[in-house]
Amino acid sequence: MRAQREIVDRVPPRRQMDWDIRGALNFIFGGAGGGLLAATACAQPLGVDLRAPVALGLALVGAGLFSVWLKIGRPWRALWVFRRPSTSWMTREALLAPPIFLSGALAFFWQSAPALYVAGLLGLAFVYAQGRILKANIGIPAWRRWSCVALIVATGLTEGFGILCLAAPVWPSLLSLAYPLAALVAVRFLVWRYYRGDLRRTGAPDGTLRSLDEFEFRFVLIGHASAAVLAIAGAYASLPALVAAGAGLAVLAGALFKYTLVCRAAFTQGFALPRTPSRGRGAPGVGVQPGWRQGQGR
Amino acid sequence: MNKRYAMAIDLRRCVGCQTCTAACKSANATPPGVQWRRVLDLETGEFPDVRRTFMPVACMHCANPPCMHVCPTTATKQREDGLVTIDYDICIGCANCVMACPYDARSIEHLPHYAYGEPMKSETARFDAGRLGVATKCTFCKERIDQAAITGQIPGVDPEVTPACVNSCISGAMHFGDVNDANSNISRLLADTESFRMHEELGTDPSVYYIWDGGDQ
Amino acid sequence: MNAPRDVQRFSSFCYNCVSGPDFLKIKVEDGVATEIEPNFDAERVHPARGRPCVKAYGLVQKTYNPNRILTPMKRTNPKKGRNEDPGFTPISWDEAFDIIAARLNAIRAKGLVDDAGLPRLAVSFGHGGTPANYMGTFPAFLAAWGAVDYSFGSGQGVKCTHSEHLYGEFWHRAFTVSADTPNCRYVISCGANVEVTGGPTAVIRHSDARVRGYKRVHVEPHLTITGACSAEWVPIRPKTDPAFLFALINVLVCEHGLDRLDVPFLRDRTASPYLVGPDGLYLRDPDSGKPLMWDVATSRAVAYDAQGAVPAVEGRHRVARALTVGADAARAEHNDVEGVTAYQALVDHIARYTPEWAETICDVPAATIRRIAGEYLEAASIGETIEIDGEILPLRPVAVTLGKSVNNGWGAYECCWARTVLASLVGALENPGGTLGTTVRINRPQDNRHLSVKPGEDGFMVQHFNPTGQNSWESEPTTRNIHRTLVPIVGRNGGWSQALGPTQLAWLFTEGVPDDWSFPKPTYPEFWFVYRSNPAISFWQTRLLAESIAKFPFMAAFAYTVDETNYMADLLLPEATDLESTQLIRMGQTKYMEHFWDYIGVVLRQKAVEPQGDARDFTWIATQIAKRTDLLPQYVQQLNRGISGVSPLKGEGYDFSLDPATEPEPEHIWDAVCRAATTTLSEGKECHGLDWFKEHGFYATPASRLEWYLTPTLARQGLRYELPYQERLMRVGQELGNRLHEKGMHWWDDQLTEYVALPDWHDVPGRWERALVNAGGRPEDFPFWLLTTKSMQYHSGGNAGIALMNEVSENLHGHTGVMLNADAAAKLGIREGDRVEVRSHIGATFGKAALMKGIRPDTIVILGQFDHWATPYIKDTERASLNTIAPMSIELTDATGSGADIVRVAVRRMDKAVAA
Repeated sequence: MRAQREIVDRVPPRRQMDWDIRGALNFIFGGAGGGLLAATACAQPLGVDLRAPVALGLALVGAGLFSVWLKIGRPWRALWVFRRPSTSWMTREALLAPPIFLSGALAFFWQSAPALYVAGLLGLAFVYAQGRILKANIGIPAWRRWSCVALIVATGLTEGFGILCLAAPVWPSLLSLAYPLAALVAVRFLVWRYYRGDLRRTGAPDGTLRSLDEFEFRFVLIGHASAAVLAIAGAYASLPALVAAGAGLAVLAGALFKYTLVCRAAFTQGFALPRTPSRGRGAPGVGVQPGWRQGQGR
Repeated sequence: MNKRYAMAIDLRRCVGCQTCTAACKSANATPPGVQWRRVLDLETGEFPDVRRTFMPVACMHCANPPCMHVCPTTATKQREDGLVTIDYDICIGCANCVMACPYDARSIEHLPHYAYGEPMKSETARFDAGRLGVATKCTFCKERIDQAAITGQIPGVDPEVTPACVNSCISGAMHFGDVNDANSNISRLLADTESFRMHEELGTDPSVYYIWDGGDQ
Repeated sequence: MNAPRDVQRFSSFCYNCVSGPDFLKIKVEDGVATEIEPNFDAERVHPARGRPCVKAYGLVQKTYNPNRILTPMKRTNPKKGRNEDPGFTPISWDEAFDIIAARLNAIRAKGLVDDAGLPRLAVSFGHGGTPANYMGTFPAFLAAWGAVDYSFGSGQGVKCTHSEHLYGEFWHRAFTVSADTPNCRYVISCGANVEVTGGPTAVIRHSDARVRGYKRVHVEPHLTITGACSAEWVPIRPKTDPAFLFALINVLVCEHGLDRLDVPFLRDRTASPYLVGPDGLYLRDPDSGKPLMWDVATSRAVAYDAQGAVPAVEGRHRVARALTVGADAARAEHNDVEGVTAYQALVDHIARYTPEWAETICDVPAATIRRIAGEYLEAASIGETIEIDGEILPLRPVAVTLGKSVNNGWGAYECCWARTVLASLVGALENPGGTLGTTVRINRPQDNRHLSVKPGEDGFMVQHFNPTGQNSWESEPTTRNIHRTLVPIVGRNGGWSQALGPTQLAWLFTEGVPDDWSFPKPTYPEFWFVYRSNPAISFWQTRLLAESIAKFPFMAAFAYTVDETNYMADLLLPEATDLESTQLIRMGQTKYMEHFWDYIGVVLRQKAVEPQGDARDFTWIATQIAKRTDLLPQYVQQLNRGISGVSPLKGEGYDFSLDPATEPEPEHIWDAVCRAATTTLSEGKECHGLDWFKEHGFYATPASRLEWYLTPTLARQGLRYELPYQERLMRVGQELGNRLHEKGMHWWDDQLTEYVALPDWHDVPGRWERALVNAGGRPEDFPFWLLTTKSMQYHSGGNAGIALMNEVSENLHGHTGVMLNADAAAKLGIREGDRVEVRSHIGATFGKAALMKGIRPDTIVILGQFDHWATPYIKDTERASLNTIAPMSIELTDATGSGADIVRVAVRRMDKAVAA
């Protein structure tokens, strides 16, 4: 109980404060888990025992959902989350969880390839649903673009392949996955660039653009350039440790990106005054949208 | 045709006094720091050609409410008369709706807060544990509007069935009524004046109109 | 939340600021007040349609604030000071009354006045008379007591529109001056922040006027709420408003000329035709002593009241024989002398104040000034009429309004004069649409300014100045602010005249007097009552003021919470607050800005909830004090006279008077007041007691809008406004100078220069710069002007400790900070939200920077009166305050005893290390 609370100036867009690190972890763990299940399904033809990554994928998805559970205001009502499949991507994300765990369990316990493919597809759908959760939240301009969905999916898949590649020192046969990992890193980079341009074109809160600007250098250099070079070099030179290092960077960068997207760059829409009113015989005037960088495309 | 309740706020009149902000807090017993409505103070221009505009904001009771679409529990609903409501018994406080609302209209309080730390009698009398951990926002004072169906009074005309903020407004800036009724006060006012709605480009079809110019009343 | 079992609503009023009363209802659930609501029962009679402003919504928190004083307390630490814990300990009411009675009875035994001729009992009330609406019958006790000193103000004279109160009443019985907003089409508002201080009535009226299409030009260094709601903002250099207004007059009289003005009004309702002789005095008829005018019909000078004369408004005319009467009745005879009409004297005088000249002073383009003057003249629509209740009156829908700081201190006389002259030039003074007064306080009766209009000298209304004659001057002050001795215009009408005196002189002179002082040395009052007043926050140089307060021998404070003033008290007395006590007051045509209503009547504040703790109804407290000081019969007699009530309790055809031999219960007192009020208001047709009022809340009766306008009243009596020439003021000032000089005193000489017939520009802002230099400061070290402004959330509400007000006021940009021009701040490396120091030559105050474009680059504004260190809740927030760093000095006090909220300052960003 506090007597006095800080009143935030809520005229310009403000950083959202309702989803903290726990909210971000849903996307970090859940996205990586879903991506890992998809990547594991892709690795099935390699003939390796993939039970461990399946288990890890399920654990990550579970950890993500558990993080959300920790965050919500009324955790004991959590099951109400299934009530609006017609429009809510949060409901849909939740609905995907039981079949993911079911197919994942089948894949784990019976080593069923079809079950693994189903789990992989559902994992991908889970990642997509997370992207759509963000997109539906139109109060956060950084999230509401299709390019954001694409970036979430690209990141999830990159993380999935990255986590698999982390196991290359144990299972050298996974070394070959370094090439698709590098390709995904490249795709993620392109989608990231497109996403950034998309925001600039359509306009976004100053705070969003600044947060992403601050993040860009580290994200691109470490999470993409370094990761791709290490992964390719490791695969080429058959040095699993190098591949794992590159993969680690790609995964870490994904996690940091989602933290940035959810906790740092998530500024609210803010308010707009399209025009100032007349005041008696004083004529109306031009309006204002404080804290907003207008896009060229508007 | 169903009713669609809407609010028209005359920006020419508003003086930013925050009487509606305080009246809303009084009527709805919101805790310190939670403002279901407030009046923004916006400055435009460069010295010496500067203007200040006062702009009341709250839930816009959108016809296409993004908060409702994202709500996983169906706690957020839309009534036939256009009011967007929250069922505190169903809401899980996931804050998805908070993110979906482009009008910054929703709050979630996880712990009780009191004006002076410890609860006063007036706060204890109105404390509602059911509002903790769930999303809350402007209701358009729906209990009053519901009362209209019983008494036959008209929201926006009879104070007993009109939102507290509209009742409180000392500058005559705030108006309330059924925009689907062409003869309602609010419809006639909007027909006679120039108005805009905020963030219309987001497709929310909001129910709050801002009058900025137009004919004499 | 369980549904309440019992829900009731009680009607009441809010008078937390001077714009009250406004109507409200209190919702009480199971005995607990939970909500404030408008009172729609009053929608018809109240211009603001039954709605109170934001402050009223804080009253529930005010009632249950855990920081309240809930039992009488006495000080246990004999040492007083900011760093001395008072050690307040709870006591019973009996013990509190015993302490009070012992001291008061000792005073009565010694005599009410001390050896210095000053009252031993002093009383201080807060802003603008608002406490009177909450203190029940305490005024009756004070009237029963006798001599009381009201000198120790908490901002009177500096936080109000002081010069307007005095000169407004002098010129047109206008304690406060307002535009006739419902009819006005063009307002020049010089710092009059009426959207903030005018209450809901002003807000709705100006809002209606905006939609109707009126134009308001707001002239102020920063873009206030009112500036924001105006059609045009003119960011004038601080304290140069007289130059701006002089230039407007210049454009009207020198560029447009008399033909475009309201000649009949100037000729018949003002002293414009009076002839002024070469010595600056009116030429008078040698036989009758009456001022002369030039009769165009007969081409000769005639007395001002000559029947059938057609006076010349302009020109120079030779008069064969005339008399002038100067200060101390010095008479001079003149033969074949040239007399200029007062209007002509104005034209000649104002010719030098062109818009181009004003531009160099005010930083307002000459073209803008010229345009505004032209728009004003055009909008005055001279010749247009309006029918009101069957009477045809001129419609002159233009007004000039003045705000605090324009209306205080040096330069304020010039502004008041120029504003009133501007109104009279176009016939807009006290005519529909124009510039109106809203009540009288220095003149009687206070409830009807028309009845205060009676013939006086020279064809003008009677005035009740404090005498300045050799034998009649009060040569030894009877109050500590010396109001009767030093300020002739403030008059001698009881508490209001006193309170409008030079209140800072009381504070200054109890600390020390000028070298050439020859009055008795001022003393501290032996007993000081304080109610709803916190001068240690709301005056200037407040740190020093708190030290002065600590020296008062005995203070009994009616206390809501501990505050910076009652921290030095010897007794704290908890009175039942707004929702807990009962009082009936007047409404409509009462006092402040827009208080001309279509109804007059009375409204009840009633007990909606039981008082918290041991707080008691003020009427009960007053009765007990009267009883224990053996003043009960006198107290009841004052009640019967109508003191503390609305009407006398006994009058023609009715008698509700109370028995002086019996201690009256509060309910009986208010029942009698209710009955007397309704009987008089209804002229005997209705009579309602307290129970009726508890149910209905108020009683109202329609009033004609003709009551709003004073000019028809003057016309009926053939009287003129004492404008534009100020012969009387000039003469009175000379006499006052003579008296002071006869006693060897020259410390007031600078103030005497203000008594001039036609005011000149005298570098008003330069006075503050010179004062800085005289205090040893260097102007270049203090490059900004610091001003202050008011807010609706706090204005005179005494509600700094109310959390709700703090919360909602933060929605307004800069409300809680130091407002700076964004570009000027950038040059100093100051960003939004930075902690900054604002420093004058006497100290520093700290707050958060709020950057904006709507403020002059040379100006800083700090809102309200904060910087609390004792008041619970608000003391925990760092709020800067002008009051902390504005010096109190004779040098910065004008002739009326007023000073302005302005000081030269420097500002800098505080690094965290420094801040710590």
